[in-house]
Amino acid sequence: MKRAVTPRTKGAAPKSKRQSAKSPSESPAERRGARSQQTRFTSRLRAWGRHHRAMAIDSLYRLVRHPVGNLLTMLAIAIALVLPAALWLTLDSAKLLDAELEESATLTVYLETAVDIAQAARIEEAVGAEEDVVQTRLISAEQGMAEFQQSLGLDDALAGLEDNPLPASIVIYPQSVDPSSMEQLAQRLEAFTGVDEVRVDLAWVERLRHLANLGRRVALALGALFGLGVLLVVGNTIRLAVESRRREIEVVMLIGATHAFVRRPFLYSGAWYGFGGGLLALGLLGLGNHWLAMPVAALAASYGASFVLPQLDIAGSTILLSCSTLLGWLGAWLAVTRHLSSISPR
Amino acid sequence: MIAFEHVGKRYGGRFEALAHLNFRVARGEMVFLTGHSGAGKSSLLRLIMRLEKPSRGRVVVAGHDIAQLHPSQVPFYRRQIGVVFQDHQLLFDRSVFSNVSLPLEIQGVEPREAARRVRAALDKVGLLHREKALPVELSGGEQQRVGIARAVVNKPALLLADEPTGNLDPQLSADIMALFEDFNRIGTTVMIASHDLALIARLRHRILRLRDGRLIADEGAV
Repeated sequence: MKRAVTPRTKGAAPKSKRQSAKSPSESPAERRGARSQQTRFTSRLRAWGRHHRAMAIDSLYRLVRHPVGNLLTMLAIAIALVLPAALWLTLDSAKLLDAELEESATLTVYLETAVDIAQAARIEEAVGAEEDVVQTRLISAEQGMAEFQQSLGLDDALAGLEDNPLPASIVIYPQSVDPSSMEQLAQRLEAFTGVDEVRVDLAWVERLRHLANLGRRVALALGALFGLGVLLVVGNTIRLAVESRRREIEVVMLIGATHAFVRRPFLYSGAWYGFGGGLLALGLLGLGNHWLAMPVAALAASYGASFVLPQLDIAGSTILLSCSTLLGWLGAWLAVTRHLSSISPR
Repeated sequence: MIAFEHVGKRYGGRFEALAHLNFRVARGEMVFLTGHSGAGKSSLLRLIMRLEKPSRGRVVVAGHDIAQLHPSQVPFYRRQIGVVFQDHQLLFDRSVFSNVSLPLEIQGVEPREAARRVRAALDKVGLLHREKALPVELSGGEQQRVGIARAVVNKPALLLADEPTGNLDPQLSADIMALFEDFNRIGTTVMIASHDLALIARLRHRILRLRDGRLIADEGAV
C-alpha cells in the first residue's frame, strides 16, 4: 500500500477498478484519463455537497441545543431589522399616496366675479386650446358653493349668506406636472381677460414628495446602520463560537482541513442566525401591524379616508429573509476569516 | 522520501532550535529520532509537517521543497502524512469512530467507504469493540492507539510520531512500537521521535541522535 507523497495531486483518489477493466480496443490511455478525471470531479463535487448538507444540519442542531441564548441573538437581529423595515413600509404607502397626488396636480383658474356663465364657457374654450392643457373643467359659482358646503359641512352657516362670494373657476389638468412648466402655463393663463388669478396646486405635492424622499433616505441610512448592527451581532456570536471550538479547529487543520472546510459550519451558523432573525422580524412586523391596525383605521376614518396599514407581501418577506440570511452569512464570514488567521495548529 | 539539506531553524531571531541538519530518509525506512528534551526532535517533525518553515536550508519531501508550497496547498500536503501526537490531539466530544474518521471526512470520502476504512484501522489497533466510546472513557494506551488509527486511516505514505509512548508503561510502549513496525512492513515510511532509549535500542532500526539542535549520530543507516 505504498503511495507517493505528491503535494500537487491534492488528495487524489486511487484509480478505480472499473477503469483498469476497460476493453483495450478503445485508445485506453485517453479514455482512462478522461474517465478518471470525470469520476474524480463528480466524486469531489458529491463530497462537497455532502459536507455542505452535513454542516447545515450540524449547525442548526447546535443552535437548537442552546435555544435561549441563540433566540436572544436572533431577537437582537430581528429588532435591528424591524426598524428600517417598518419605516420603509410606511414610506411605501406614502408613495402610493404620492402617485394619487400626482394625478391631482392641477392649476385652478379663478375668474373675475363679474364674468357670467357664457363668458366663462368661452374662456374655458380659449384656455383649453392652449398647448400643455390636457383637460379642463368649468366650475360655476353655484357648483363651487355646493362643493364648498359639502366638503366643509357648513351648510347652515353658508346658507345664511345672501350673495355667493365665490367666483367661477376652471380646473386645468396640465400635460406635464413638473413645477417650472406649470408655472409658465400659469403665467400665460393669467394674461387672459376675465381671469382673476391662477393658482398652482403643486407646492404641497412637491413638499410631500420631498418629505418622502427624505424619509426614504433616512430609511436607507437606518437600514445600512442596522445592517451593520446585524453584522456585528452575528460576528461577535460567531467569534465566540470559533473560540469555543478552537481545539477542534487546530486538530482538523493539523490533519489537512482547508480553511473552507473549517469555515463552513460557522458560515451556516451565521446564515441560520440571520434566517431566524429574519423570521422573528417578520413576526414582529405582523404583531406591530395587528397592534396598530385598529387605531390607524379609526384615525383615518375620522378624516373620512380609508387607510390600511401596509403589510409585507410575499416578495417583501422573501427579500427581508434573504437579506437577513445574507447578512448573517457575511457577518460569520468576516468573523471567521478574521479569527482563523490567529489560529494555527500547534 | 525525506531530505534535510543544511536546515537551520531559529525562533525569535536568537534561539537556535536546529542547525546544520543534513540527512536523508529513504522510502519505506523506519527511523527513530532521539535526544534529550529540547534537543529539537519536535521542531524537526514540525518542519516536515510544514507547521513551520526552516530559517535556512531546504526540507524536501517526496521531491518537493515544501517551503515552496502555496498556503492553499498545505492542507493537501498534510493529508498525505499521518501524524501521531504525544497528547493524542483527539476531540473529546466525538466518539472513537468519529475521531478516526475525521481525516476521511476532511477528504470527502464517501461515508460507507469511510466506515469500512475506519473499522479496518480500529481493528488494526485492536479497538474495534470500543468504536462508540468517548475518548475520556479510554485508558492512556487506548487513546494513543486511537490516535494511531486516525493517523493511518487514509494510508499515508509517511507516518510521523512525536513521543508516541510518552506516558505509557514498557509493555504498552512495546505494543505500540510493534504497531508502527507493522505499518512499516507494508511500505509506510515511519519516523518516530522518542527518548525511550532502551526500547529503541532493542528494535534495531536506524537512529538519528540530536543534541542542541545538531545531528550528533546517525546509527544503523542503510
